[in-house]
Amino acid sequence: MSLAPVPVTAGGRRKSPPRSRAPGEPRRIGYLFILPAVLVYAGFVFAPFLHSIYLSFFEGNGITRMEFVGVANYVDIATNPVLRSAFIHALELIVFYSIIPIAIGLLLASVLHRSRIRGVAFYRTALFLPYVIAPTAIAVIWRWILAPRGPLNSFLEAVGLGALATPWLGDFTWALPSVGLVGTWVMFGLALALLLAGAQKIPLELYEAVRLDGGGLWTEFRAVTLPGLRYEIVVALVLTTTAALRNFDIIYVMTSGGPGNATVVPSYLVYQQAFKVAQIGAAAAMGTVLILAIVGVNLLITRMARGSS
Amino acid sequence: MSERVVFDGVSVTYPGMSAPALREVSLEVPEGELLVLVGPSGCGKSTFLRALAGLEGVSAGRILIGDRDVTRVPAKDRDVAMVFQNYALYPQMTVAQNMGFALKVAKVPKDEIKTRVGAAARLLDLEPYLDRKPGALSGGQRQRVAMGRAIVREPQAFLMDEPLSNLDAKLRVQTRAQIATLQRRLGTTMVYVTHDQVEAMTLGDRVAILKDGEIQQVDSPAAVYDRPVNAFVASFIGSPSMNLAEVDVVDAGVSLAGTTIPVDREVLAKVTSGRALLGVRPEDLDVVGSGVAITVELVEMLGADTYIYGRLSEGPLLVARVDPSIRPALGSVVHVMPSRTYLFAAEGDQSLLG
Repeated sequence: MSLAPVPVTAGGRRKSPPRSRAPGEPRRIGYLFILPAVLVYAGFVFAPFLHSIYLSFFEGNGITRMEFVGVANYVDIATNPVLRSAFIHALELIVFYSIIPIAIGLLLASVLHRSRIRGVAFYRTALFLPYVIAPTAIAVIWRWILAPRGPLNSFLEAVGLGALATPWLGDFTWALPSVGLVGTWVMFGLALALLLAGAQKIPLELYEAVRLDGGGLWTEFRAVTLPGLRYEIVVALVLTTTAALRNFDIIYVMTSGGPGNATVVPSYLVYQQAFKVAQIGAAAAMGTVLILAIVGVNLLITRMARGSS
Repeated sequence: MSERVVFDGVSVTYPGMSAPALREVSLEVPEGELLVLVGPSGCGKSTFLRALAGLEGVSAGRILIGDRDVTRVPAKDRDVAMVFQNYALYPQMTVAQNMGFALKVAKVPKDEIKTRVGAAARLLDLEPYLDRKPGALSGGQRQRVAMGRAIVREPQAFLMDEPLSNLDAKLRVQTRAQIATLQRRLGTTMVYVTHDQVEAMTLGDRVAILKDGEIQQVDSPAAVYDRPVNAFVASFIGSPSMNLAEVDVVDAGVSLAGTTIPVDREVLAKVTSGRALLGVRPEDLDVVGSGVAITVELVEMLGADTYIYGRLSEGPLLVARVDPSIRPALGSVVHVMPSRTYLFAAEGDQSLLG
């Protein structure tokens, strides 16, 4: 491929290079440079995505002939209580994956960044660690901790709270919160690391200014910490809500959607429909709705952040 | 309401530091006065201001604002306003919101906030910028917003922490004059911290010079210039700073590089060890036919004045501020003679005059 710079080829005709565009303006040749990435993206992300939208209008197992069914798969998601509950569970998981970790993170960040704590770097790493561990490993560990005869129940019995002991992951009331709290444990480190980094950029004089302006701790938080962490909060929200919505590994390993359908989530259903019961069309429709939900929630978050600035 | 500020034996020691940042400082700033605290970095002047604001705890002594003992009162209840070196404006708020924030916290009615912010904005030429955010303002405008935020409060005292140090030289001179005018018009007690002795001399009703956490002298700008209590104050106030040289006491004077400089007998009588520190301001050194010989090393021509830097045959570099018509060649020898001298004790630097 010959990529002669533009001014040289132009130089043959004119004495001085043409000033048709401002310096730094995009040139058409730039597209050539992003072509490899575009090809990879189109081949491995965009084409399968379009194909899956296409498949979502069919019914079949993907091997024999597929039958066109229109929007029936989508109607099913809206009407079938199991499919619908998967999305409701996903929304509930957002509380555990994003809202609780970010709320605790904000509280700790606003306290921590002003006090000199010995070994802050150690705690930061320790709290961030769960986010680094493979979700499957985390799920295995917590499944063990929460098992009917696992460490948590043994501990409760040892301290005389045996009445509280319950088969956490087998209980219809507790299964989803239990899985959710594992998400809280994982995401909290991420939220805190992000928010602490952001809080360190806030000049301490701003807090002093609030105090001299007659404000207390709540005013400091509202007038300085919260606005100062706006971008970090948005990033944390986007990352954690996405993780909550597309959650698969932890559910798969810990509960497989059970007991009953108490912890069924969209990603798990996609997997189940596609590979367990071979309903390719239904799985594709589910996946499409999930993607739209993720994009929608993220748009909402960024829109709200822009509105409040 | 403007109130006096009193420091009564105040000491501040930072955690983990052995030496206190402020050492038993006692000082009264009468109501309506503009006091400038000046000193080299690390002298404790910012600590003084932060202790007064309530941002720094006091380890000993009392702080009074008016007749109210505020030593243990938290910053938010002290009713003082501070202008920070980097202004500390709330970045997400508009200029109007920044200026009115303290009133909003104090639950002042919206209409009154608007009136008071409007009045302050008029005073500071900020009216066109009320709806802008600090990020869209120039350094000088931000500085005025910070001032506005303090004025709107109508506090008992203004605290200024090097408010001009982030401005360029020209703007600094302008704003300096503006602050002085404003303070006189409002009549509010102001404690102003700076490391710049020119600001101290031009702004202050009185100037307090600090060193190592201790007040060296508190007096009017003219008095600290004319009657410095020790060699530190003498060399800190005035530009270029005072020439200081260790000298031997001889009959009827002191000997500087072999030349006898006459000194009053009364003053000489106070010298105990036979040696003293002679101080001569550059503006008091005249070029004469015969006197102290110096070898010219540098000549700075400033237009109205010329500074001659010359070295004694033995000892330090001397600076003389002379008439611009005098232009000695580099390396030439000129003779200078002081028209006025200061004498300090060789031990302890205390002034031996007056």
